[in-house]
Amino acid sequence: MKIKSEILRTKTLKEDAQGVGNILLEIGSLLMSSGANSNRIRITLERIANGLGYKTELLITHRALMLTIIEKDQEHFFSRLKRTSPHGVNFRVVSGISHLSWNVLEQNWTVLQISEEVQRLKALPHYPRLVVLGFVGLAGAAFCRLFGGGFIEMSVAFVATVAGLFVRQEAMRVKFNPYLCVYFASVAASFIAGLAELYQIGAQPDKAFATSVLFLVPGVPLINSVTDLLEGNLQNGIIRGINGLIIAFSIAMGLFSVRMILHI
Amino acid sequence: MIFIEILIKSFWAGIAAIGFAILFNVPRRTLFPIWCIGAFGGLIKFTAMNYEIGVVFASFFAAVVVGVVAIQMAHLRDSPPLVFSIPSVIPMVPGVFAYKFMLGMIALTSIEKTDIYLQALIETVNNGAKMMFVLIALGTGVAIPMLLTRKESIKKSDFNKKKKAVV
Repeated sequence: MKIKSEILRTKTLKEDAQGVGNILLEIGSLLMSSGANSNRIRITLERIANGLGYKTELLITHRALMLTIIEKDQEHFFSRLKRTSPHGVNFRVVSGISHLSWNVLEQNWTVLQISEEVQRLKALPHYPRLVVLGFVGLAGAAFCRLFGGGFIEMSVAFVATVAGLFVRQEAMRVKFNPYLCVYFASVAASFIAGLAELYQIGAQPDKAFATSVLFLVPGVPLINSVTDLLEGNLQNGIIRGINGLIIAFSIAMGLFSVRMILHI
Repeated sequence: MIFIEILIKSFWAGIAAIGFAILFNVPRRTLFPIWCIGAFGGLIKFTAMNYEIGVVFASFFAAVVVGVVAIQMAHLRDSPPLVFSIPSVIPMVPGVFAYKFMLGMIALTSIEKTDIYLQALIETVNNGAKMMFVLIALGTGVAIPMLLTRKESIKKSDFNKKKKAVV
């Protein structure tokens, strides 16, 4: 049994165009869903392929990757499409894959080593949930301070942000539509801040109301959009920008729903 | 007195950057640099605004500095520059302008009187333009240093030639 699985493993991880192509596609889709821009994906994949002695041609889109890999003797090539899953931003993976690509180039890593490293990166832990909730709450309070709120407004923003992020995490867990997750989070956060505004807690409760939803701001899609546009990946840039705009629109709809409910 | 206020604001800008860094799951060794870069970016933005440079250019300068420092940090801490630059510029995202812009747009659907409508229209367009240009300034500001130093990182891969790369 062990021998059989060993054979299977070496079969999928052979150093031929197919094995290399599959691992490259996996790395590319991992980068795309972790929030890397298009040029970084292209450079990283070409660097790894170069290190292994192959030439690649790539088509990068928002939800799919297409890769053709050509062998040294130009005789065999392998082409495949792979869908990329929309997932959360994860810079630990982006950083790890950047290391991996240099290791392939400098230390001649084999396909097996690459695949083990990719599995390790995928299994890397996130920060504990309470830490995430606490620090993002602090970030919400910090935003409130930046826009001129006092300590009472900051505490309101903290509570609202923690509640909103919690709702978003739960909505993501039961796999709602991602924009709907943002909407729910926006409603939850601004409802709490809106209650504070309704009962006039603090001197400027509107500051807390406006900053309670800022943790949802689509920073990564918008900044990656501008980067992609500047680097000539116009199609990806436009798509990322529209994605960011829809997220911003979801946030705004949440705010308006709460304003209508509470009449403030 | 005003400078103490600027320092305090920068401190909180750094905290906001850390919050986003943890949300984006950055490696632990990059957390403190992100706080420093976020606070430094905030310092530059608020100082520039104190000298009556508009919010758009203040954000742009701050984003360029964040981009440059992020590249240096990337060499020091072995992580790609975007790990440092994206969490650090997010505190400068024009959230309040965006909020006021959206509120104004909704108000515009229901106002009847012409003079009030004009007033609301002026404010809405002002907020919307500020929001849009600050966003563009942040994006280009962060990207420009990366574009300028692109050569450097390609030079590093000179040992490429030793391998039997095709073509």
